[in-house]
Amino acid sequence: MSDVVAQQVKEQEPEVDLVKADQVIDKYIDLPGNLMPVLQGIQDAYGYIPRKVADYVAERLNVYPSQIYGVLTFYAQFHLKPRGRFIIRVCVGTACHVQGAQRIKETFFNLLHIKHTETSADLRFTFEEVACLGACGMAPLAMVNDDTYGKMTVQKVDEIVAKYSAIPLD
Amino acid sequence: MVNLTIDDKQVTAPKDSTIYDAAKLNGIKIPILCHDKKLKPFGACRMCLVEIEQMKGRQIPACTTPATEGMIIRTNTPDIIKARKLVLELLLLNHPLDCPVCDKGGDCDLQNLTYDYELNSNRFIDSKFQHEIDYNNPLIERDMNRCVLCGKCVRICDEIVSYGALTFIDRGIETKIGCDFEKPLDCEFCGSCVSVCPVGALLARPFKHKARFWALTKHNSVCGYCGTGCNLTLGVKDDKVLTTVYDENQGFHKGQLCVRGRFGYQFINSEKRLTTPLIRKNGRLTEATWDEALEIVAGRLKGGTAVAALATPRLTNEELSLFKKMMLENVGSKNYDHSAGYAHRALTEGFASSFGSSASSASIPDIQKSDLLLVIKTDSYETHPVIGFEINMGVKNKGIKLNILSDKRGKLSKLPGANTLVHIPGTEVAVINALCKSVIDQKLADPSVASLPGHAELIKALSDFTPETIAAVSGLTVEKINKLAADYAAAEKAMILFPTGLGYAGHAADLARAVANLAILTGKLGKEGCGVLCLSEKNNSQGAVDMGFYPQDGGDNALQILDACSAGTIKTLLIAGENPVTSYPDNAKVKAALDAVEFLIVSDLFMTETAELADVVLPACSFAEKEGTYTSTDRRVQHVKPAINKIGQSRSDFEIISSLIVKLGGTPPTTPAAQFSEITANTPGYEGMTYATLGNEGAFAPVSIQPVFVVPVAAQVPAAQGKLALVTGSVLYHNGTLSQHGEGPVHVCPEAYVEISRSDAGRSSIIDNDLVTVTSENGSLQLKAKLSIRIPEGVVFIPYHFPAAPVNMVWSGSAVTMVSLSK
Repeated sequence: MSDVVAQQVKEQEPEVDLVKADQVIDKYIDLPGNLMPVLQGIQDAYGYIPRKVADYVAERLNVYPSQIYGVLTFYAQFHLKPRGRFIIRVCVGTACHVQGAQRIKETFFNLLHIKHTETSADLRFTFEEVACLGACGMAPLAMVNDDTYGKMTVQKVDEIVAKYSAIPLD
Repeated sequence: MVNLTIDDKQVTAPKDSTIYDAAKLNGIKIPILCHDKKLKPFGACRMCLVEIEQMKGRQIPACTTPATEGMIIRTNTPDIIKARKLVLELLLLNHPLDCPVCDKGGDCDLQNLTYDYELNSNRFIDSKFQHEIDYNNPLIERDMNRCVLCGKCVRICDEIVSYGALTFIDRGIETKIGCDFEKPLDCEFCGSCVSVCPVGALLARPFKHKARFWALTKHNSVCGYCGTGCNLTLGVKDDKVLTTVYDENQGFHKGQLCVRGRFGYQFINSEKRLTTPLIRKNGRLTEATWDEALEIVAGRLKGGTAVAALATPRLTNEELSLFKKMMLENVGSKNYDHSAGYAHRALTEGFASSFGSSASSASIPDIQKSDLLLVIKTDSYETHPVIGFEINMGVKNKGIKLNILSDKRGKLSKLPGANTLVHIPGTEVAVINALCKSVIDQKLADPSVASLPGHAELIKALSDFTPETIAAVSGLTVEKINKLAADYAAAEKAMILFPTGLGYAGHAADLARAVANLAILTGKLGKEGCGVLCLSEKNNSQGAVDMGFYPQDGGDNALQILDACSAGTIKTLLIAGENPVTSYPDNAKVKAALDAVEFLIVSDLFMTETAELADVVLPACSFAEKEGTYTSTDRRVQHVKPAINKIGQSRSDFEIISSLIVKLGGTPPTTPAAQFSEITANTPGYEGMTYATLGNEGAFAPVSIQPVFVVPVAAQVPAAQGKLALVTGSVLYHNGTLSQHGEGPVHVCPEAYVEISRSDAGRSSIIDNDLVTVTSENGSLQLKAKLSIRIPEGVVFIPYHFPAAPVNMVWSGSAVTMVSLSK
């Protein structure tokens, strides 16, 4: 797609900052089969895939918007709604389950009032139940972004929420 | 060829066939849901499983497996039947069994297979899907609960239509077909997805609950809209055309249709059709008998040269040639024309002078055989959508290089590798001259053409059209012009396409000459996949030219006829099917002429804006009610037969003209077939044709070419001076003013609009749907604004089909009309 059209799409949606999208697209524009890396890059840049950015990617890569949506809904790794700055993952697999994962999950809910795949209104936390995080020896297990918390207890839940609530959102 | 054994039968099949193709070719039926011969193999439904001995009896899909030498295949072992039954059981688990109210009943692949496999119970239990049904558009209903996920709709929309409206959403058991972000369907509405859907998931809403499939009688016909000449199957019940029926074996286009062909048929049985002749008495049109009306008309036609006629190129060849004969022999006037002259100037003035033949040198099937296409003016997918599909398929499947030279962008610009050159409106002839100049300067011209007549004059004239000069005028770059010229000249087979018609006035004849020069210079003529194809607007535009229904030997052309009406020298004007008030340029002038003419006779299907001014209105009938032939834009002569009886007292124009000839003392031919044999005797290329030899697919009238160089005159484009260039033309959903009476097109595109670039709109703070006034030297017009990314800055586009907002209020008919916008 020409840069003229791309420019005009940009003007159409002034409220979405497309600079970050441009940076990602420019990086991969000449790569054959660039849709996946572009979408992954977009998700890294925005935290999720905004609809307008998806349309913009469609224009610039000259792919049908429907095709992009097909890819976005096929892969679990893409998110179409804004996600929290901190993604809390609580394992509810067999080992964690017998070690009381249910209690851990409920405690998070009581503190944050968000259920599976939900995001807090301030976009600080997203909560996810996952089937296994691959460290059953540390059950019950939770992760916040890339930090791992093994042998979880109800007290540790309070500490984790307090710790991540104290970090300022940028 | 490969030899293989299917169900103990020795068969042979072409080397590139799949097992499914090989079986089908040899009359062995393998059940399938997801396969369409026009689409690439997909292998989604698992109904076509077969066993191959060499693969130790494994079950593999026949539709994706290539047939190889010596294969031994079984298509109906007990194991296979069991597997297919399982597939059906699983599909029927979630598919609602609402067959009694489903429009697909009787034509449903799933229903038929369930019947074939005698599946009367299901071993599994699950809940049905609970998807919301998409009723948001008037033409296509999407009920995803009935979907079997064969993906044909997704694939046809991508592979052939190239719109890409649909996709698979989510995955696994949750998978469904839908649009991006699950929005309602809002597309071209060509209905290709409906035509291939094996179940009732995609249905044509205008046909909903009108008739069961088996109650329809199917009549082969030819689409009555554009010049592509697509074949149609009309579904008729109780003497009414209720739908168009998809037939994948029909025509060069394999049953593919556009929104007009598929959904625009409702005008045939419209409530608004004229059913009796009308005569103006005391200022009001009142019902009359045919005898009364014809008597009056015949009396008026005895005026010799004070009589003139305008006919629509939607009439059959028989009607046009008889009409011309009546004008010459019984009336004694040479003043007859069609489509304001714009539909035929490219052919009769342009091609006739350059090629010595008033027809295109290429045909539609040449498109897919070419190596390079140069599509000029607006995107042909919009004027001739089915030709657009051919281009899509050529570019995507055969790697044809696509070059577009236009004043705006469109869908074709998005095809892979498409090279779009957007030029300033009105400069196309200059740009093509510059391409010729560039071909010569780069020494890429065919050396043998130097001896052709007019070569020296052309070389001399082209000195004014150096790429450098033209780049400045047209808004293109020298590099782009030189590269396109080099690519075109270097391609072994290259073809040029450009549209003509009422919306594409200005310099159609010069455009034809210019492209002819380019094709002659580079030797791109007379070979398969080469040549120039002028896309005519109406279904019989080429026929009207072949029949000679345009001014010759000093006869007045359409615009001169209107001038003569105003001046009082023409006293009687007979208009058959034309609607000049809406479609001819300069509305005020047209109306004044029709008011001034002493006696106006209009024969039409509808009470058009022109018919309202008439003294006598004669009810004519549509293509579905008459017999005759149409000649498509690439000179395919096709035979139409009546599918229904004539509505009310309407008569075909053939009958009307015949009766008038009798009243004028002549002897007309008894049937259209008799007139056709006269045509074949007198029309070059039509020799030897009869209704019988035309068959269902028609026959090509060959075109012989004697190339000559003719210097085209490039239009002077007025300086913008802060104004915008008005481009008019066809919009995808309409064709002429007839589609105004087809419910389908009108539902999707109900009114005129002015399409403007975002930057021009921003400058005047215009937003979507704002009412804006478009003003030119001719007048002004209020229209809704439509902001668009395809329109370049400095250009506005207004479609011309709409009587309620006639673009001819502002459009002068010259190459470029400059307009200004205000809110």
